[in-house]
Amino acid sequence: MGDLKKKLEHPCEGLSDIYLMYFDEARGHIPLFIFPEDKFTKLRENRTFMRPIKYHPIWFLTVDEQEALDHVDLEFKGYVFFGKKFLAKSNRIKRRAGMEDDTPETIIIIVSLPNDIEIFGDNFIRLLVERIKEQFSDKLYKLIEYEISKIEVIKTPKIKQIIKEGEKIKKELNDLITKICREYFSSVIQQTDISSIKQQKALSYLALKGIDVSHLISNEGSSTFSNVKLFDPSKRSNESLRLKLPFVISNIEITPNSHELEIIVLNNTDDEKQDLNVKITHVTEFFEKEVMNQHVDLWFPKEELVFISPITPQVNEYLFFIIDQETNRRILSQKIDISTLGKKEEKI
Amino acid sequence: MDKDEIIIRNYRTSDYEATLEILRQLDKNFHIGLKEDQWKQSSGLRQFKPNLKRITLIAELKSTNEVVGMGMIEAVKNPLGQYIGYLNNWATKQEYIGLQVGKILAKRAIKILRSWGCEAVRIIVAWGFPEKILEVFEETGFKPIQIVLENKFESE
Repeated sequence: MGDLKKKLEHPCEGLSDIYLMYFDEARGHIPLFIFPEDKFTKLRENRTFMRPIKYHPIWFLTVDEQEALDHVDLEFKGYVFFGKKFLAKSNRIKRRAGMEDDTPETIIIIVSLPNDIEIFGDNFIRLLVERIKEQFSDKLYKLIEYEISKIEVIKTPKIKQIIKEGEKIKKELNDLITKICREYFSSVIQQTDISSIKQQKALSYLALKGIDVSHLISNEGSSTFSNVKLFDPSKRSNESLRLKLPFVISNIEITPNSHELEIIVLNNTDDEKQDLNVKITHVTEFFEKEVMNQHVDLWFPKEELVFISPITPQVNEYLFFIIDQETNRRILSQKIDISTLGKKEEKI
Repeated sequence: MDKDEIIIRNYRTSDYEATLEILRQLDKNFHIGLKEDQWKQSSGLRQFKPNLKRITLIAELKSTNEVVGMGMIEAVKNPLGQYIGYLNNWATKQEYIGLQVGKILAKRAIKILRSWGCEAVRIIVAWGFPEKILEVFEETGFKPIQIVLENKFESE
């Protein structure tokens, strides 16, 4: 139970640590936020633990230099630390001569992932940085003020106000990162080459950590000769990993005047399909009754076909099948409940 | 126009706008009773229904990929159990009329209907259709056999 509660609070527990740092003009590389948060209180001052973070090569590159690289990685003791640097708006009085209030803050985000799942790092850090920039770019300097104010000995009402505000921002940031981790590691893992050893290793690791990966099958399914692809840091993979069906029902509707069921089905493959039977049946008192049986001799790739069947009075549930005539195998089976049309069709 | 300049293919949903435009022109000239909201993107897709098969053929200009003509073919099972093929809503884009586009489409359509096992092919034309064109049809084997009378129900 305790483990489950902990997992819900920190979906990245054991998978990934996230470090949000800034460059302090007086003190150097300072952590602003660490996820999971308990590491922040316990380990932020631990030199050994923070060594790969504070001396990550990302610190030594300018924002312009790292743009071409997308992110900078450091492999250290079984972990890969992905680092990305960006500038954020500031309105904070700086403590170094020559720096104005509006001199931008240098922010570093470092994501650590075990070597076994480092394959997911590229997209994960890109997503994190994008969302943090989107929602917190204007607020991060307030979080820095909060960090500085916390160590002030005398807490004036103004400082107290800054601390209060900072804690609120920190809470929001924590919620955002929790959400991103949960989404990313449970469902939107994006990867192209499912068959690669690295990918298999990463999936095994996730499965070991209790993340459900059983549904992950490459979506595109395009059988290309080679899987080699050029790396383009600016381009993200749009390919989501989910089950790819050879035939997909793209629309179901009841024709307004004729009271017929109109089902549009897409051949979702890149191959011509031959000799298929498309059947619509319904079950009345234990007997399956056929209302439509059509033979499709040739179904072109990506072609949509329309199947129109009469609706039997008092019958709401129909079964739709596509059967390969040669092997007698059901390629698609779907239950259609016309009383819930417009809602989601139930899969069988 | 030569048949090599034209591709005859099945309708795709991306042809919707082009076919709607052709149907508008057809309706303007022959009052085919087009209701635009009833010609949907999926209307021209290959249709399978008990006792009916329907395809919308598209004539596409090879050089520009422009849709220059369309025609629907249907195979309907009559009460005697025979399949009869019909050519419906046969139309060519205004500027391509007289360039044999319709003829090329019709040839392909007849071939398809024959492969479906149809016993005959029928073309239903509008009343007052130019006799000159009827003569052209007769030359290709089509003979008038029926007069279809219609009483249109007033919508309530």
